[in-house]
Amino acid sequence: MTITGSDATADAPEEDVAIRLRDTSVYFGMDRGRSMVLNGVDADIRRGEVLGVIGESGSGKSMFASALLDAVPEPGVTTGEVTYYPEEGEPVPVTDLSKAELRSLRWEEISMVFQGAMSSFNPVVTIRTHFVETLSAHDYDVDRGLARATDLLADLYLDPERMLESYPHELSGGMKQRVLIALSLVLDPEVLVMDEPTAALDLLMQRSIISLLEEIKEKHDLTIVFITHDLPLVADLADRLAVLYAFEFAEIGPAEEVLETPAHPYTRALLNATPNLSAPLEEMRPIEGESPDPVNIPKGCSYHPRCPLADEECQQIDPGPYDAGADHDVHCHHWEQSIEDLDVAFEETVDVGTRPSAAGRASGEPVVSLSDVEVTFGSANDGWFDFGDDETVTAVDGVSFDIYENDVLVLVGESGCGKTTLGKTAVGLQKPTGGTVEYRGRDVWEGASGSSLSDDEARRALQIVHQDPGSSLNSHQRVRTILEQPLKRWHPDLDGNDRRERILGMLEYVGITPPGDYVDRYPHQLSGGEKQRVALIRSMLINPDLILADEAVSALDVSLRVGMMDMMIDLQDSFNTSFLAVSHDLSNARYLAEKTGGRIGVMYLGELVEIGPAEQIIHDPQHPYTQALRWATPELGSETEETESPIRSIDIPDPKNPPSGCRYHTRCPEAREVCVEREPELVDVGEGASQPTACLRAQDDPDYRMSESITDDV
Amino acid sequence: MTDDHTETRKRDDTNRMDELVPDDPRDRVAGETVRSDGGTVDSPFETTSSVEETRGDRLDRFLEGYARTPWSIMRQDWRALVGLSILGVYLLVATLGVYLVEPSHPADGPQLLGAFQNWEYPLGTTSSGRDVLADAVHSTPSILIMMASGALFTIGVGTAFGVVAGYKGGMVDTVLSTVTDVFINIPGLPLVIVLATLLSDWINNPVALGVLLAIAAWAGLARAIRSQVLTIRNESFIESARAIDLSTRWILTKEILPQLMPYIVVNMVNAARTIIFAAVALYFLGVLPYSDANWGVMLNTAYEAGALYRPEAYHWLLVPMVAISGIAVGLILLAQSLDRVFNPRARARHQGGEEEEPMEPETDDTTDVMQV
Repeated sequence: MTITGSDATADAPEEDVAIRLRDTSVYFGMDRGRSMVLNGVDADIRRGEVLGVIGESGSGKSMFASALLDAVPEPGVTTGEVTYYPEEGEPVPVTDLSKAELRSLRWEEISMVFQGAMSSFNPVVTIRTHFVETLSAHDYDVDRGLARATDLLADLYLDPERMLESYPHELSGGMKQRVLIALSLVLDPEVLVMDEPTAALDLLMQRSIISLLEEIKEKHDLTIVFITHDLPLVADLADRLAVLYAFEFAEIGPAEEVLETPAHPYTRALLNATPNLSAPLEEMRPIEGESPDPVNIPKGCSYHPRCPLADEECQQIDPGPYDAGADHDVHCHHWEQSIEDLDVAFEETVDVGTRPSAAGRASGEPVVSLSDVEVTFGSANDGWFDFGDDETVTAVDGVSFDIYENDVLVLVGESGCGKTTLGKTAVGLQKPTGGTVEYRGRDVWEGASGSSLSDDEARRALQIVHQDPGSSLNSHQRVRTILEQPLKRWHPDLDGNDRRERILGMLEYVGITPPGDYVDRYPHQLSGGEKQRVALIRSMLINPDLILADEAVSALDVSLRVGMMDMMIDLQDSFNTSFLAVSHDLSNARYLAEKTGGRIGVMYLGELVEIGPAEQIIHDPQHPYTQALRWATPELGSETEETESPIRSIDIPDPKNPPSGCRYHTRCPEAREVCVEREPELVDVGEGASQPTACLRAQDDPDYRMSESITDDV
Repeated sequence: MTDDHTETRKRDDTNRMDELVPDDPRDRVAGETVRSDGGTVDSPFETTSSVEETRGDRLDRFLEGYARTPWSIMRQDWRALVGLSILGVYLLVATLGVYLVEPSHPADGPQLLGAFQNWEYPLGTTSSGRDVLADAVHSTPSILIMMASGALFTIGVGTAFGVVAGYKGGMVDTVLSTVTDVFINIPGLPLVIVLATLLSDWINNPVALGVLLAIAAWAGLARAIRSQVLTIRNESFIESARAIDLSTRWILTKEILPQLMPYIVVNMVNAARTIIFAAVALYFLGVLPYSDANWGVMLNTAYEAGALYRPEAYHWLLVPMVAISGIAVGLILLAQSLDRVFNPRARARHQGGEEEEPMEPETDDTTDVMQV
């Protein structure tokens, strides 16, 4: 492989580059061969830029981050050159440094924010101790360092005094992530490497942190390498984008160019596979096939097995970088053809007609009907030897909705808003502490003992598919055993051969072929997408009426999500099943709901604040919270200017002690005094189709009009 | 089998399905809707070829899972081979050895003959003229039985209490955990001494003795297993099983227990070692009544005969010590290697009794590493 960005670097002055990688590889020795997890990568990271590195899971993006600091864990081996060019002084060959030199390079010059802020802190010491330890380990002046830390925390909209005295468990995920960013900047590094820093966070928090990063970068004159699987997220922030596929860069270039005229077929396919809010649904399609195994990377272009343009040349010759415009390099022999022949979905914004909305079908008898459901966890303070605070959390507070035959309802909300609890309540896996759940007019908890339903018919009809394909299948059972159980339980008259036939047929139906080969596999021998399919057909085998899909696609790679959702929609059509989906991602929710003509329900702190047809929720949201979610969903190819954040506070209030009146008033930009006192009811404000919204403003309540604003800036 | 036959079977099957759900309230028209349980004619199942599975196939699969695959895995591990060999020797001694070696009585031979000096008494004799080899051999069966019964009792009761308490929760958990706590807090040694005195009629039965020695040992295991079950029961696949309404028994034995098997097996072997050590110690102390010689009694008599400071009596002390240590080592090696037998990755690789091309042995490691 030849030098990437050769033209650009030749023209640019040498000091422009902060880190240069030349033919950098990382490999792990394994029983079955050498596992190349970074394969001869060349890249220049320029001073003061934000380089967005995009890759699916297993594309080598985390190894890229580790290689920058020569921090590849044992027994991995890094080869090739990684050179760091400080602002003043000699270039530093990172890969040749001694341990002591590395220690001073890391954190002081190049700093890293790892993914999973939750586990990056020591739970038994305060945040201050984390800062002090870092400072003294690098022989920095602790007092000056702490002063800097205080500034940094304030810049990140945190209360420095409170933060420093807190223990990690007292902070929310978003706070921890921000403290971690402050911690990584406390030694004033030149380069900040962030590996999926927001992956575990909610949409609103992700978006807020991205905005903060821009400010921080300006203020501290940073070079940022932002590594993520989420293309739209980094699109606004990054100056240049680098797309990793199969442990190599597929394409690297200015962010706008990569997004608008992507030259590599993979980038184009990835853009098409990414669900978003504005692109027409027909244009979204999954990428066929799976990412290659690091031990057997295909010869020639690593993308050729999945590429529609692949020919002889691609199978034989590793494509060197072709110049696709100034500063834009692409590793594809046919990049010109790729630009011409492969469409990118978001370029067009044709409005699509959707299928008849669920409201139209709502005439029939509901399959599942929830009325005024309430779920509380924990025990109340009974005042008897109980000196602690009242520990109850109301996860779901008075929610009612109906699900009809062949219906799709997607619940959307931030983590901790009670959407999963509500979903589990709807399928009879969580007993509500108040209200009723009815299946075809019968209360499912009637006569139930303990935590299981007594009504067999209801139990069979209400099923669940979980979020994490890794834990939704028992790792000790073969696919055969996993799929036989529901049949044995519900169709005891079938003998082994009938069961086997049914299982094989179902596997084939969802595209797992040859099924005979798969039934004897253990879950670890399946890919993520296959596991999720097996989990889905396990529920499908007993012909349920309603399936709760709990974040069923969140754990999958971007390129597989659309495929999985298409399959769910297909199964829903064939088997006349309803879906209750739970998602934190508005784009996924939109895809699933809009394609089936279903509804989206928005939850906030245990309450349903808005529910209606997908089209209307996405394009005409009434509740300010829905509007905020829509704002927080990163958009590809939208030309709109960065708008101001529609939320006043980026942290969710404590669910143990929810705000009075409208629960959203603490963050709502439109809140007025009446919102603090009066709790809005769900009232239909939709024009045409039904779109009940719990917001006094949307309802044009007279009290709201008379009331004073409580926001500072309005 | 002819095609006709297959057709008929399939049609029967369809009919049966209709009977199964006679009053389907949804009143679906067959032909319009494909039912995922395969009830209607035009389901995707019709497309698959019908593979008949006979009783033989099923037996084959059973053998595959419980015999060939474990053996194939263990064959590759020297610890398993050594451990199994050691235990095999002890079993042979306990079964065949007792017939080959005559029981010995006082004054059978010369006093305190050293080891390997006279082939009539290969391991020498005691000060009372008993054959050390014969004593050691004839105490093996009772020790093994005691060990097995104690270990099985420990893991049986411990696992049952732990799994049920952890999975069921609520009142069941409270009651079972209280019982467990009571047993944890009973001082083991005094209890055994008191019980041994009270039950002196039974104590010569090795099974009863094994259970007696384990009486205070299972509670700790129950606690540990309960806490593991508490985390496992929140896993998604357990919730799915509950949604499908699988029986509690299935969930406990087939969903939860396999996850715990490595832990349980290690504990079983540890329990077996503890039982042996405890029994030997109690015999040595003279707390337990005895009628026949066994390793502990041999140690006791050797000690009382001053074997610690009489070089000519060392063999008397060493033989039971080697016997005890040997079985402990064998058990430890076996436990370590059994760990792999329950690992689905290893099982998948050794399917069919042969080690296949490693499928994806280190996938987990790679992902871990790549997320660093």
